[in-house]
Formats: sequence, C-alpha cells, structure tokens
Amino acid sequence: MSTVTKTISNGARASLRGTRWVTVLIGAFGFFAAWILLNLIIGGQCRDKCVVDTLAQTLRVATPIAFAAFCGVMCERAGVVDIGIEGKMLTAAMVAYAVNLFSFQIFKNSMDVATAGSISRSLALVAAVASSVLMQLLHAVVSIKFKADQIISGTVINIMALGVTGYLYRQFLAQNLPAGPGTFPILQIPLLSQIPIIGPILFQQQPLTYIMLILAFLIHYMLFYTPWGLRTRAVGEHPRAADTLGINVFRTRYINVLLGGVIAGLGGAWFTLEAVDVFNPQMTNGLGFIGLAAMIFGKWTPFGALIGAMIFGLGNSITTTVSIYRPDIPSQLPQMLPYLLTIIVLTGAVGRATPPAADGTAYEKQ
Amino acid sequence: MSNSVAAQPARPPLPDRSTLRRVFGALGMPLLATVTAFALGALVIWITSGSLETVFQAYGGLIRGAFIKERGLSESLVATVPYILLSLAVAIGFKSGLFNIGVEGQFYIGAVCAAFIGQVTTSLPAIIHLPLVLLAGALGGAIWAAIPGYLKARTGAHEVITTIMMNYVAFRLVEYIVSGPLRAPGTSAVQTPRISPAAELWTFAAVPQRLQDPLNALGVAFIVALLSLIVVRLLLRRPAWRDRLQKSGQRRIAYLSCAVAVGVIAFVALPALTQAWWPFQDQYDRLHIGLLLALFAALAVWWLMWRTTLGFELRMVGANPSAARYAGISITRNTVTAMALSGALAGVAGTVEVLGVSGCRCLPMFFSSGYGFDSIAIALLAKNNPFGIVASAFLFGAMRNGADLMELSSGVSKYIISVIQALVLLFVAAPPVVRWLYRIKTEQRTEEEAPLTRGWGG
Repeated sequence: MSTVTKTISNGARASLRGTRWVTVLIGAFGFFAAWILLNLIIGGQCRDKCVVDTLAQTLRVATPIAFAAFCGVMCERAGVVDIGIEGKMLTAAMVAYAVNLFSFQIFKNSMDVATAGSISRSLALVAAVASSVLMQLLHAVVSIKFKADQIISGTVINIMALGVTGYLYRQFLAQNLPAGPGTFPILQIPLLSQIPIIGPILFQQQPLTYIMLILAFLIHYMLFYTPWGLRTRAVGEHPRAADTLGINVFRTRYINVLLGGVIAGLGGAWFTLEAVDVFNPQMTNGLGFIGLAAMIFGKWTPFGALIGAMIFGLGNSITTTVSIYRPDIPSQLPQMLPYLLTIIVLTGAVGRATPPAADGTAYEKQ
Repeated sequence: MSNSVAAQPARPPLPDRSTLRRVFGALGMPLLATVTAFALGALVIWITSGSLETVFQAYGGLIRGAFIKERGLSESLVATVPYILLSLAVAIGFKSGLFNIGVEGQFYIGAVCAAFIGQVTTSLPAIIHLPLVLLAGALGGAIWAAIPGYLKARTGAHEVITTIMMNYVAFRLVEYIVSGPLRAPGTSAVQTPRISPAAELWTFAAVPQRLQDPLNALGVAFIVALLSLIVVRLLLRRPAWRDRLQKSGQRRIAYLSCAVAVGVIAFVALPALTQAWWPFQDQYDRLHIGLLLALFAALAVWWLMWRTTLGFELRMVGANPSAARYAGISITRNTVTAMALSGALAGVAGTVEVLGVSGCRCLPMFFSSGYGFDSIAIALLAKNNPFGIVASAFLFGAMRNGADLMELSSGVSKYIISVIQALVLLFVAAPPVVRWLYRIKTEQRTEEEAPLTRGWGG
C-alpha cells in the first residue's frame, strides 16, 4: 500500500497547498474587480445595503453551481467524467416540484399548513435525491460496467432528462395546479446572523445553502484525511496500481459516482425548493455545466470549486443588480457575463489544470 | 459429381457475400438500437398512459404525421435538411477528436449573419446574393466555432464546456441583435427585416418560375456544368477511358468541353423543360433546394475527410494526437480548422433555416431549437459516416415532424421523442448494452476503435 498511495497523497497535498492561495487570491481579486465594475456601470449607486444584498444573492446563486461542482469532484476524483450533471439537476428539480406539490395536497387536510409544508418539502428533497441517483445509476452502469465513452454517456443523461422532464411535465404538470407549499423559509442562525456584514450574507440563508457550505468542508475532509479519500484518489490517478494493492476499483467508482448523484440531486432540488416554487423545462439553464467549469477552476478540490462557483454566482447577481439600477441596458448583455466568465476562467486564469490522471477512462481489469 | 465437390478444399466465401455481411454488420447495431429504443419508448407510453391502445395510437400518429398525411413526407424532408448539415458538423468534430456540442450556437450565429446580409440590399441578383448569404452564414458559424477550437489548442480549455458556454452567449447575443439593432421597423412581431427575395432558397414548387429569369438560369447552368465536370473527371479515371485519352491535355479538353456543352444545354433547355413538366406543383409545399445543398454537403464532407490530405490529417489528429504531432502535423492548426469547418456547416444550417424555412423569411425572436443535441445522436447513430448521416437524419427528421400529429391524435406528449432519441444514443454509444440485452456473443474482437472524446487534459 505504502509507496504508491504515499506519493499520490503527497502530490495531492502539495498541489492543494499551492492551489489554495492562488485560488483565494484570484477569488478576492475577482470580487474586488467586480465591485468596481458594478459601480462603474450603475454610476456609484452600490452602497452598503446593495453590496450586502449582491453578496448574499451571490452565495444563493452559487449554491446549485457548487453542488454541481462537488458532484463533479466526487466522480472525477474516482476517474469518471460526469457531464450529465445538468440533466440530473433538471430531473431532480422536476421531481422535487411534483412531490412537494402533491404530497402537500395530501397532508394539508390532516394537519396544519406549516407542518404539512415542511413535511412535503422534506419528502420532496428525498425524492429529488432519489431520482438523481437513479439517473446516475444509469451513467455508472453504462460507463463503469459497460465501459462506454463517459462523455457520450453523460450526454445521453442530458438528452434523456430533457425528454423525461418535458414528457412528464406535459403529461401531468402543465395544467391548472393547486398552490404548493412554497419554498424553504430563510433559516436565521441565532447570534451569528446578527453580525453586521457577514451575518446577512452567510447566516441568513435557506437550508440547502448551509448544506452546501457544510458539504465543502465534509468533502475536503473525506477526500484528503480519510482512508476512503485516499482510495478514491488512488483509483482516479492510477486504477491499476490501486487494484494491485487490493482496492476494488469498480466498487470505489460506483460508490463515488452514486454519492455524486446524491449531491447533484440536492443541487437540482435547489431550483424548485429554494429558488422559486415553479418548474419550467429550461430551468437549469447551463448551471450544471458552469459547475463543471468551477470544478476545473478549483482544480478538483472542494474549496477551489466553491470559490469558482462564487465567482459565477457573482457574475449572476451583478446581472440582477445591474438590471435593477440600469433598466436601459439591454438585459441580454449582462446575462452573457457568467458564461463569458466561465470561458475566460477556463482558458487559464489559473493556468493549465491537471485532472486526475485516469479521469474519463474506463478501467479494464486484467 | 457430388464426390468431386466434396473433395475440393473448402472455398473461401464469395466476395459479394462478404460485402453483404459487412453491410449488415455495419447496419445491424444501429438498427437494433433504434428498434430497442422504440420498444422501450412504447413501454414508457404504456406505463404512463395505462393502456396499450395509446401506444398504437401514438406510433400510428407518428407514422401518419411523418409520411402519410398531406405534405407529411416533404415536411419530414424539410426537417431533415438542418439535421444533415448539423450532424455533418458534429461528425467532422468527432473524426478530428473534438466534441462540438456547440453546433446549436453556431447555427444561431449563422442564422443571424444570414439574416443581416440577406436584408442589406434588394438590388443584387440571386446569382450573387444567394452565395453571398450562404458564405456569410458559413463564415459566422466558422468564426464562432473557431474560438473554442483555438482556446482548446492553445490553453487546453475543454471544448465541451467552452462550446456550451458559447451556445448560451450566442442565444443572448442573437436575442439582443434581433430585438435591438436588427429589429424590423414597423412590425409588432420581434423579428429581423424580411430578406431580399433574391436571397431566398427556392422552394421546389417555385423552380420553374424562378428559372424564367435568365440570370437564375445561368446560375443553375453553371452549377450543373460544375457537377458534370466532376462526374466526367471521375469517369475519365476508369482504365478503359484512360487508355483512349493518353495525354493529360487530351483529358482536360475532354472534360472541359463536356462540362461547357452540358452547361449550355442546361441554360437553354432547363427553363423550357421545367415549364413543360415539373413534379412539384403544390404552392404550399415548403420543401426547398436546401435539400440538394445538404446532400451535396454530405458528399463534400465524405470527399474532404476520406480523399484529401487535410481530411487525413484531421482524422489522424483525432485518432492519435501524439502520433500526429510526431509525424509533424500541427495540432493547433488542425484543431482550429476542424472546428471552423464544423462551425461553417452549422452556420449554413442556420442560413438555410432563415432563407428557406422560416415563414417570414427572416429571423424571428424565438426560433428553432433542439436541433443541436439531436444532431449529436444522429452523428453517433451513423458512426460519423456522411451517407449514414443522411439516412439517420431522415429518421430523426421524420420523428420530429410526426411528433405533432402523434401528440394530437393520442395525447402523448411529443417529448417522448427525446426519450427515444436518448435511448438510441445510449444503445449506439454503448454496444455492450445491446449485446447484453440480446445476449449476442461477439465472434472476434473488433479492431481497436479510436476514442470518441478525450478527457479534460487532452
């Protein structure tokens, strides 16, 4: 076990240490530049409240992107490329919406509305995660067992999700529906939410945002400080060596990919349980792919990916702020910003990113 | 008699039979994939609707809508045209080791370029304006696609992400251009101004009337002459003909004179001939000559990829970049070229949509959609073979066209088509799944295939 895994672990640590400061610096610089840019565009009107609102909105919008990026980290650290995050999130969003709505109709007769609402929202969250895992299972079997091209398999997931959600939406959801229980309420963390600037940004959010922040720490700890993380990284870097050392490559990959599915399901649930209380078939709007870009930006580390997601979230929330203060600017132009940011970030704001060595290749047991 | 036959050693299989077998081998898997996908689609309809009858109603409606109802077949062909062009674009990418998911964006950019050049002037004759508009669309798409190509080659930014991002930028950009700078004045609908009639792609029904203009006839005669030139040159390669015309000068005179003669005959005779007899008389039929353009594009792509040095280099970069680099082939140049070619085809598809399909002969605010992902499935179904693409594009075009009547006649949402298409793609991309489903044993190991896509690092 020792030599190979030790090199891997040392390499990962070293690259992580290097990465952390660079990404933090770039992140800080990005926020500063964005703030200046924002004030230039809207004519110096962005004072305290506007800045806090924009930053709180940034974290909110970054949530699904970060979930997508974490899903990518989980899969790709084990050597499976997952391009179908978008599709899984779309499916999860629809399932969450439907379950939330229909279970609320059942529960609201037998108990008071608030309890019925929270029960149905929790049920919806579970169902969303389950649907995402189901789709991920397809990706896992096709790309791990049948060794198909992983990017094609992900594309299959994306097209299938478009079809399935569109089909079910048209068959069952595109009618006059009763009102649903609404989205998750804002959860104020006692004491912490009273801190002047940080409080409203970090501690007055909805539950999935907190889960996302906790996940960043959790994944970081699990990947870099537990045996499971070591095995995962070994499988992603050099599956043959890992296999030789007695690590079950296939099982590790299945577990990681399915855990990724769980995370993508949470990200999908965000759209209909936290953002808005409706579903529409183009809802995810490329955020899954932006999440992948955030993952690459963060060099396959959870914190890096989080910062990447925050940058794109910032682009998005600035778009909103600009459209409030400057309605005369055609809305399409600022809307391009997050996508352009993604391209710029990918083309080497952080230098050439090195993916896990075995990323995207099926493992052939000898 | 029978003894002597038995005594002979086992003869090798006849050559034509083995060709037949090869064709079946190539067709078998896509056919099986399609059939299985439809069967699973039926299962989904059955489960969600609860009655077996709905399945028959749905598929019956699909077939009637695609082929049998009035103008059904021609509408299917109308939908086939962009599919052919876009799938060729995707296939060029795959063959060169690039996964161009951005064809949809390039399609939009091509369309908006065409809409702009098409309405700039109304004074140009079709013989100049139409090629100009096609060129503009192709150029727009090519530039839009070349950007991710360049970024990939230079910085390693993976084209899957960048082309998708370019898609979203293209959607917003086109939305902005159509609703802002290029919006047609004086109409309530948000759309670009109508293009010049000279820049339109003719419908088949309008061909006789269009040919009455001598300039148009000249253009058509020129194209016919060019095509005959190619055909005669190919014929002259046959040994029997080659022996008769020994010198290359002789051959040149032969095919040039042939082409000129055919061109002159076409110029003189075609207008009168089409006036006298023409099979397409339905004024409301939207089938347009873009179909011929798409078929020609398929031929051109086949020739480019399998018969030219450039195509060889592209395929080599796709199959094995390290070997290509070792052989002195520039990866950067070929990556950019492949993306530009791919984007040009996608841009032409957008152009065709504006010039020949859209009812207003302009670019409306929310047009098209969903061609992009479908064309990836088509290219994979056809295994990136241009002629296979024509066939599978027709399959998808028919499905797209028939879906509306299916929804009307059975109440099954037309999104089921997307599910079926995703299943087709799944089974084609992962042949082991189909083999496993049908318990097919592989006889011998098939030769190592080049990977379709590459990971982030490549």
